[in-house]
Amino acid sequence: MTDAPLAPPRRLAALLSRRPAAGRARSGALHRFLRHRLAVAGLAAIALMLLACWLGPLLIPYDQLFIDIRHRFAGPFAGPHVFGTDQLGRDLLVRLLMAGRISLTIGFAAMALSTAVGTAIGLVAGYRGGLVGAALMRCVDAVLCFPSVFLLLALAAFIRPNVVTITLIIAATGWMEVARVVQGQIRTLKARDFTLAAELMGASGFYVMTNELLRNAVGPIIVAATLTVARAILAEAYVSFLGYGIQAPVASWGNMLNNAQQYLGSAPWLAIFPGLMITVAVASFNFVGDGLRDALDARVEL
Amino acid sequence: MSQDHDEALPSARTQGPSRRRLLALGASAGALAFAGPLAGWVPGALAATPPTKPKGQAVIGLSQEPTVFQPLKLHIEVDEAVYMNLFGTLWRSNPDGSFAPDLAAEIPSVENGGISADGLAWRVKLRPDVKWHDGTPFTAEDVKYNLALLVDPKFLSGRRAGHDLLRDVTVVSPTEITWRMERPYAPYPAILSWTWFGPKHILEKEADINKPAFAQNPVGTGPFRWGERVPGDHITLKAYEGYHGPGPFLETLVIKYVPDLTVLYTQFQTGDIDYIGLQGITPDHYDEAKTLKGQVVQPVPKATIENLALNTGLPVFKDRAVREALYLAVDKKSIIEQLYYGLPVPTESYLPMQSWAFNPDLPAQSYDPEKAKATLDAAGWAPGPDGIRVKDGVRLEFTNSTTAGNHLREQAQQLLQQNWLEIGARMTISNLPPAVMWGDYWMLSKFESAMVGIDFMVGPDPDATDYFSSHAIAAKGGGGQNTTQFDSPEADALLKDGAATVDRAQRKAAYLKLQALTRRELPYLPLFQYAMVQGVKAGLEGYVPNINTQENCWNAGEWYWA
Amino acid sequence: MARFLVSRLAQSLLLLVLVSVIGFGVLHLAPGGPMAQFALVPGMSQAQLAEIAHAMGLDQPLPLQYWQWFSRLLVGDWGHSYRDAQPVLAVIAARLPATLELMGAAIALAVLTGVTVGVLGAVRRDSAFDVLSTAGAMVALSIPTFWFGLVTIYVFSVKLGWLPAGSRATVGDASLWGYVHHLIAPACVLALVEVAVWSRYMRSAMLDVIDQDFVRTARAKGLPERRVVLHHVLRNAWLPMITLAGLELPTLLGGALVTETVFTWPGMGRLFLDSLGYRDYPVVMGILMVSALLVLIGSLMADLVGAVVDPRVRLD
Repeated sequence: MTDAPLAPPRRLAALLSRRPAAGRARSGALHRFLRHRLAVAGLAAIALMLLACWLGPLLIPYDQLFIDIRHRFAGPFAGPHVFGTDQLGRDLLVRLLMAGRISLTIGFAAMALSTAVGTAIGLVAGYRGGLVGAALMRCVDAVLCFPSVFLLLALAAFIRPNVVTITLIIAATGWMEVARVVQGQIRTLKARDFTLAAELMGASGFYVMTNELLRNAVGPIIVAATLTVARAILAEAYVSFLGYGIQAPVASWGNMLNNAQQYLGSAPWLAIFPGLMITVAVASFNFVGDGLRDALDARVEL
Repeated sequence: MSQDHDEALPSARTQGPSRRRLLALGASAGALAFAGPLAGWVPGALAATPPTKPKGQAVIGLSQEPTVFQPLKLHIEVDEAVYMNLFGTLWRSNPDGSFAPDLAAEIPSVENGGISADGLAWRVKLRPDVKWHDGTPFTAEDVKYNLALLVDPKFLSGRRAGHDLLRDVTVVSPTEITWRMERPYAPYPAILSWTWFGPKHILEKEADINKPAFAQNPVGTGPFRWGERVPGDHITLKAYEGYHGPGPFLETLVIKYVPDLTVLYTQFQTGDIDYIGLQGITPDHYDEAKTLKGQVVQPVPKATIENLALNTGLPVFKDRAVREALYLAVDKKSIIEQLYYGLPVPTESYLPMQSWAFNPDLPAQSYDPEKAKATLDAAGWAPGPDGIRVKDGVRLEFTNSTTAGNHLREQAQQLLQQNWLEIGARMTISNLPPAVMWGDYWMLSKFESAMVGIDFMVGPDPDATDYFSSHAIAAKGGGGQNTTQFDSPEADALLKDGAATVDRAQRKAAYLKLQALTRRELPYLPLFQYAMVQGVKAGLEGYVPNINTQENCWNAGEWYWA
Repeated sequence: MARFLVSRLAQSLLLLVLVSVIGFGVLHLAPGGPMAQFALVPGMSQAQLAEIAHAMGLDQPLPLQYWQWFSRLLVGDWGHSYRDAQPVLAVIAARLPATLELMGAAIALAVLTGVTVGVLGAVRRDSAFDVLSTAGAMVALSIPTFWFGLVTIYVFSVKLGWLPAGSRATVGDASLWGYVHHLIAPACVLALVEVAVWSRYMRSAMLDVIDQDFVRTARAKGLPERRVVLHHVLRNAWLPMITLAGLELPTLLGGALVTETVFTWPGMGRLFLDSLGYRDYPVVMGILMVSALLVLIGSLMADLVGAVVDPRVRLD
């Protein structure tokens, strides 16, 4: 939840704002995406991860919660526990996969929420413009004034951490970027002929917003949404690391890292595996987002 | 907030006890008390001798930051690490629980005429040779000013309880002060042993006593005077050459704040820090720390007892059978030996075993899930369809809370969760940040069960009225910390007996009975007595562990480099 | 221009008010409070706790508390810390230099490395270096900063013993090397993400310029490629980079908080975390306001610089 890794959507907004043609010319998008080798690799990695997290635990003969205190800190790649055991003697691999379910669920759910909210606000602000639009965007600006770590921490104080509440606060700090992207898009699109044409033909504002404008802004929204998943997974890790995350004994990648810190010297694998999982997951979503950006945005072909 | 930060434990195993360790532990493993008054605990009794002039620097590492430097003001435990070296008290607690005069010339007692036989009239004689760091003489007027300030309703005082019993505080001469107590109150000398005094001539000129300019440049009577403070990082104290007691032998004392225990340990390892105070080295690092060359690592008992607090105000914990069964199902041995690396000592009492009032004859708990199940069966708690027991519509289901981020406790909680599920009790972990946990949630008994380390004593005094008296239940309007809502007329009577007399034998009899009572009634399930793993760089001499103080740098004025 | 400035300043002030309302509300409505730290003081009674809450003004209705805080702020009184009763501005001012030092070092590092990598990537477009650095930047953006910090400590402090494990300096060692030695690891960790951002931006800014007419002309004139890149392309690609510096400020501040936590760096981020833990509202609010101010100044500068260097940007 440092702003650092959370920032891609904001940077994206900056990028897109210089590219008014985004969203047009989607023919050949799939082709362009497939040419993007890193994006394809990212997509494959995500698919593999989803498969592993949801099917893997069924194949492993250990329970993620079963404590075997006599076999704590078993090293990885030796003995029956492939990735070793944690500080309570639980199998690390099965916990990693179960944690993946939680972290990925939070990532997707937070993405869905913040994209929905951000799109709605951006759409209204961009289409209505005027006072409503200005007021909405000033609210967006005000929330953006807080480094999102600060905001996330302040909000975390409100909740009893569980998957739903953590998702909510991550979404609450992630919708602004989407709103900005969408608002920028809509404003440009609004000035175009087809909008005017629809309005002249007597279409209602709602119809124009949803059918004409939104459809044409779908590209950047998809890109922003993909990057938001990456951001949400990281945010979960940061919240957990700073001690406000998912409660034990349920594992998430973030809280596995939090607990591993003190064993960095004696059992480094407890920190290394979850950290790698987060990095791979987040990087995959970022690669896919990057690929989508190239694929959906004609002007990227300079 | 001593409770959530205590990560460390006492030791039943003393490997190859060095002389220092003997001193520290009172001669034997699992020592029940320091072997008599340690008359020889002054630094001179140790191998090397201290230098004649203050020399060198020692860096104390703390995992919390001291921020309040007006010692009478509301403050937290960690602030006292500075007070102990910067300010003076009338007397301080020795490791054996006796008092040593500091600003007072002698400890008032019935024998020397300092306290009347009924414990009501006090006469305290002061040292004539004490000077504040700015050169102004310390007098009885300072004492009077401080005692009055503590109970001044306009002042955000650090402690009122005890001081509010004083009447007619009178300065007889610059070196003599008298007062009358409203009623006899045995723990009062103990309270005075950690009441640090500030200078009247500076404090009385403060524009706003609650926002003291004094805190920028505090002046005390302690062995060190104020140097500088780099907020968020460290405080430097300098030797005060006009100190009235032995020492100081160090030229500079640095109190460094390192918020992360692992980083703190790493800095100790690399030699940046000479002494780890407060929570010490985490048990996870104990084995590794023992092998360090150039550093001396030893477990030191603390007065803090680790407990599972059960809120007896809730239907599920009203039944003594439930509390008993839960206790029987606790795998104490695994918690202590595996999670805490065998450092803490299992206990059945709320008092540390070093206390003169400790009851060593309490029945020992043994891990016995079968007996626990039988106890619940007998009391009518029958397993429901999901395996969780129910009685009269009450499910044996509850949350357990502690400060979020305390890793060892979180591990113990998860183990307990498994232990208790075995007997048909479902516990859910619900940990909270300190600002939530120790607020109304704890104080007004809104928790269900909690894992908490508590020092039940009043300094060296075993009075635990605050925790067990039915008048101390804040949730019912009382003014204390009886957060388990333990309500027992028998306990009330024993507590009253214990505090109303200064006769130690009489007091001890009452407290022995009280310990048996709490062991039977189990408002708290006692787990163990903490020990802190203390780390000191080799060559730093003169420090002595003191179970009666919150901070182990209580006598840094007498530390020196060999 | 003047009109733009005035309207932007007015907007910024409005934003600051909004920020303060949001911040104040979120903080005070959250469960827990500053009294918790005192509840465990031995001998503390409920009555005394109530007295303390009253003295701090915590027993008043929230809107009134906000108004009191805000009206004092208007006359320059930021309030006093609940913990040590010191003026909030003094508390923050004591910590700000450490944060600025860390951020400054990280920015310098990030700009130097990022620009170099970006320029090389753009010049040798689609080369192995370009592909690798692009992928590397993406991965760098994906590593949790705190985890990277932990791994850095593990490798360079615990295992190799080359760098200190935290803090800003060793007490008693006031040498320049002592400070630099402590700065290396946290600055590198904080810079990691920024390097990625800067290199990607530099690359795309360079690509935007590299095919433009004046560059082609320069090439056609037979100028050496090196000179073309340095004098024509780089100079023009700089412009969007300046805006970026302003916009990256919140990112950097957030990153500093996490880095300070991992490396126990005595800066403002660490102070924020500690103060939040103690629910020291005046200090937390102060930090929120200061960082919002920094962010607003950053974006204002970005807009201004953008307008000055690129007349096509209309300021309205």
